[in-house]
Amino acid sequence: MHELYLAESIIQIVSDYAARDGFKKVNSVLLSYGRLSCIESKTLQFAFDVQSQNTPARGAALHFRILPAAIHCFSCQKDMTVDAHTGICPACGGADVLLTAGTEELQILELDVD
Amino acid sequence: MKVTVVKNVLDANNRIADDNRKLFDGHKMFVINLMSSPGAGKTSLVERTITALRDKYGIAVIEGDIQDTFDADRIAKLGIPVVQINTGGACHIDGNMIRETFPSFDFSKIDLLIVENVGNLVCPAEFKVGENIKVMLLSTPEGADKPAKYPLMFQESSALLINKMDLMAYVDFDLEKARRDSLALNKDLNIFEVSCKTGAGLDAWVAWLDRQIDAFKK
Repeated sequence: MHELYLAESIIQIVSDYAARDGFKKVNSVLLSYGRLSCIESKTLQFAFDVQSQNTPARGAALHFRILPAAIHCFSCQKDMTVDAHTGICPACGGADVLLTAGTEELQILELDVD
Repeated sequence: MKVTVVKNVLDANNRIADDNRKLFDGHKMFVINLMSSPGAGKTSLVERTITALRDKYGIAVIEGDIQDTFDADRIAKLGIPVVQINTGGACHIDGNMIRETFPSFDFSKIDLLIVENVGNLVCPAEFKVGENIKVMLLSTPEGADKPAKYPLMFQESSALLINKMDLMAYVDFDLEKARRDSLALNKDLNIFEVSCKTGAGLDAWVAWLDRQIDAFKK
């Protein structure tokens, strides 16, 4: 999808930290996102590799922590994790369902640097 | 060595969108981010909406497309200020592209700004431009399975217009399923069945929009 934009943004953030903390090499970047946000991790790594040449982020591996999607069903009062959000409760078939997690935007959590 | 960061990668865009929003608020401008697949009828809806509300509100339009100016030319014929953004391949409009159009507008004369996003059911929902509401169109030839296949946009929108109702006799569109699946994703979604070709059903949409703008201006 818009992985080129996201990669550019990650590289900018990493470069800002490199300038601030003076590290020379980034081994890995730990990222997180909700499993229902439209992010392709392999495409993102590819875009990152291409665009990070000649930046302090060059050569870093991207690691992903994918946050589960969850719903709350008001009919059967259950909270559960789901693979996809359809608005229908997989337990009781009720339609009074609230998506409570899974659309979290892409975040950088941690850098591993030398 | 580990460095803790915790930074939202979309922050740069969100910040620009928030700045845009503040600027719009300062001028009491109500902003719609209009989204749909290509060919669902966004530009026709914009034309209809302009015709219905132009006597009451100052209206301006930003058109987003990968290339060309067909849509902007259509709006310009109505004598409405319009700027065409050519994204040059990008699948959505972002906050910064909107900001770059600002010198082309006289904000003191605008009550309603309609941003017609690039035709795409996936990405535009993830990039804020500084809008008050997101509005989406689904046209009957596209099929009623779209809410189930592309849920995010339906979740994020305040209004859904089901367009090309005049084609219902010719296409296999399950209206009840489209309504049911959309409302399952978003209970607060306001659904309007319209035809931008015949004008049918558009009064309800225009009245609803008018109320949103009124409430915002107060």
